[in-house]
Amino acid sequence: MTSTLTTAPRTDPLDAAADLLALLQDTTTEPRPNDQLSALTLAVSADLPVLLWGEPGIGKTAALTQLADSLDLPLTTVIASVHEPSDFSGLPVVGDDPAVQGVPMAPPDWAVRLVRAGRGLLFLDELSTAPPAVQAALLRVVLERRIGSLALPPGVRIVAAANPRASAADGWELSPPLANRFVHLGWAHEHEVVVRGLGGTWPRAALPLLDRAALPEAVAFARRAVCGLLTARPALVHRLPKNEVARGGAWPSPRSWEMTLRLVAFATAAGVSRDVLSLLVRGTVGDGPGLELLAAIDRMDLPDPEELLADPAAAVLPERGDLRQTVLEGVVEAVRSRPERGRWDAAWVIMARALESGAPDVVVVPASTLAALRREDWEVPATIERLAGVVSLGRRADRAAAGRAAAGRAAAVAGRGR
Amino acid sequence: MTALDEEKLYAARLHAARSRPYLATALFALRVVESRQVPTMAVDEHWRCYASPAFVERTPLPELAAVWVHEVSHLLRDHHGRGERFARENGLHGAGERLRRNIAADCEINDDGFDDELPLQAGALRPGLLRLPDGLLMEEYLRLFRLGPHTDAFGWLDCGSGVDGVARGWDLGAGGAHGLSARERDAVRFRVAEGIKGRPGSAPDGWERWAEKAFHPPQPWRELLGAAVRSAVSGAGVGEDYTYGRPARRSAGLPGVVLPSLRRRPPRVCVIVDTSRSVSDAELGSALLEVAAIVRAVGGRRDLVTVLSCDAAAHVTGPLCRAEGMTLVGGGGTDLRVGFARAVRRCRPDVIVALTDGQTPWPEAAPPCRTVVGLFPRVGVADEGDPDYEPDEPPEWARVVELG
Repeated sequence: MTSTLTTAPRTDPLDAAADLLALLQDTTTEPRPNDQLSALTLAVSADLPVLLWGEPGIGKTAALTQLADSLDLPLTTVIASVHEPSDFSGLPVVGDDPAVQGVPMAPPDWAVRLVRAGRGLLFLDELSTAPPAVQAALLRVVLERRIGSLALPPGVRIVAAANPRASAADGWELSPPLANRFVHLGWAHEHEVVVRGLGGTWPRAALPLLDRAALPEAVAFARRAVCGLLTARPALVHRLPKNEVARGGAWPSPRSWEMTLRLVAFATAAGVSRDVLSLLVRGTVGDGPGLELLAAIDRMDLPDPEELLADPAAAVLPERGDLRQTVLEGVVEAVRSRPERGRWDAAWVIMARALESGAPDVVVVPASTLAALRREDWEVPATIERLAGVVSLGRRADRAAAGRAAAGRAAAVAGRGR
Repeated sequence: MTALDEEKLYAARLHAARSRPYLATALFALRVVESRQVPTMAVDEHWRCYASPAFVERTPLPELAAVWVHEVSHLLRDHHGRGERFARENGLHGAGERLRRNIAADCEINDDGFDDELPLQAGALRPGLLRLPDGLLMEEYLRLFRLGPHTDAFGWLDCGSGVDGVARGWDLGAGGAHGLSARERDAVRFRVAEGIKGRPGSAPDGWERWAEKAFHPPQPWRELLGAAVRSAVSGAGVGEDYTYGRPARRSAGLPGVVLPSLRRRPPRVCVIVDTSRSVSDAELGSALLEVAAIVRAVGGRRDLVTVLSCDAAAHVTGPLCRAEGMTLVGGGGTDLRVGFARAVRRCRPDVIVALTDGQTPWPEAAPPCRTVVGLFPRVGVADEGDPDYEPDEPPEWARVVELG
């Protein structure tokens, strides 16, 4: 009897709906570099707690799903706002004899599953809509990695998400000591990505991979960069945010510098771009100190003036005018600090090379300074002939500033080199 | 066809860098690209500078140097990003808007920092030509004028995609050679800003203001005040506590255990209004309305919000409080110490919000509740009798939000 029913053509209206849904879900991916996602991946692999700041509905959860997929970690999402504080600090369970055994604090099931798996990505979503007491309990999970009596194994990585203060209904914010423990990453959607994704093609980011051979070098580089900056700028070591705008964000302290050092090492070993490193560093110690560190790292990339002077014919100068001028000024400073005939000549060779390979105005100021360093008995090298154009360029700029007496003197200095 | 007179262009850059040393880094970071499509000179967001050979030839060198400074200013001041944000927020797009953004950006740049040494071109746009005041930001100018006969003279303006974010035919794009990445652009802007901050007085006021704000964009005070008040009112310990008076909703699942349940009573908020001088009724009114709205949004009841007013402000606060259903309690001195003491004694508040211009002595010790201070900008000299009078800074224990 029943068999006749099953052989009849099915007319369930939900079948067509299921087909349509399947078609809608049939999307492809394409590789597309994504700095946000690379930064998030690096911070997660460096085992630092990340806090994603982003408006609701811009794809934070989707990004986390993709991250968990690519790191091959099971994803556990906990929506903070639907939990009570005791879900994170543990629920009391009364045993036979509380006076003897005490009352154990039982963890919730998701925590038990996470610990049993030994590894996973714990995503604490919607932190900012949870009541303050729940947030306080959650922060213990993030910072001490404990849920009730359970300790999270090292294989579990934690990412939290919050809405920016301005858009959060209850205006939750981190106190400066708590903010200092997070890597803050702003999360914004890219218009093109969203449009293309809705059209059926979502981006797939290439995840940074650590190069095992480069690990010791990466650590040395990170230490040199951070220690170099902090030696020169002791004031950057610790600076509490003072104004209302900077509250709850990243700020520099020995703790966040240690996190920064770790991130620089990870970024170096993974070979990610400086743009990604910039997101991470500024999200850890704040914009100002972060940019200063990046500038220091840029300077480490510039050729060393002493090496240039040792082999001026092989000198390779940076393409960008401002960096090039920094290098040339460094060369002139090196000659000034130890003025010798050979070094002075070598510096002229470098100036001539700079002139051959880039804009001439960049050379004018360093060349005039170098000319002024000439001693009585030093003969003008032949290479200076080639710099005649620069001198005339400088003169032309001086003529433009004819009203100024000082400019006239500068021209005289440039001319004396000739 | 004229060839690009590179020597002249670079001599002009050198002149610009010498007369505006604080911009030298940014000027030298620009990459010159010859282009015959550009009407004059233009920049793109990747810090390339497109130059028209004919324009370079016909422009005197000092004016060419001023154009360099003008173009690099667009990039340093991030007109590209700001213009796009403005367009998105206000839903303004199209060719006319592109021109309007260019005009507003030029107004922001050209009203400050040019002189005989770096003379603006004769036809250059200044706010005065559109009967606009000097010293405003691009966004403010954008709200002040429309295209019309008076802007027709500037239809030729085109400083490139670096100003408005609309791609041009001549742009090399992100993939083109020698562009600066977002991080490199930030690094250059940062170095210029640090250079200006490191030598105060060396740059015009407009640039010093820019350097202060370059990496700390001002946030709208409404949002900051809202966040401060919300966080004070809804913070842990304000009007809430665990209680054993009623069973927790989870008690049923744990027989034998008495769990505390969370109870909350609406927070009491006391707003102290001190308007001795210099605060406009409109400003005060909007700040007060803001506080009232926030308190209501977080569950405050009308009867739990009190406003303590100075006599001078009664004419503002009175009607406002009637309209908002707040309770106006007595007058008070312009001495905020009196105001705080009275607030604590009379209202026993969970949170005190003080709206003041800061021309007052502050209480020695923190009141037994959270405090938010909304600080109105101070105008002019504080005390006629003592021109050197400097009011105290608001105390450490208060969260301070600068209004307006």
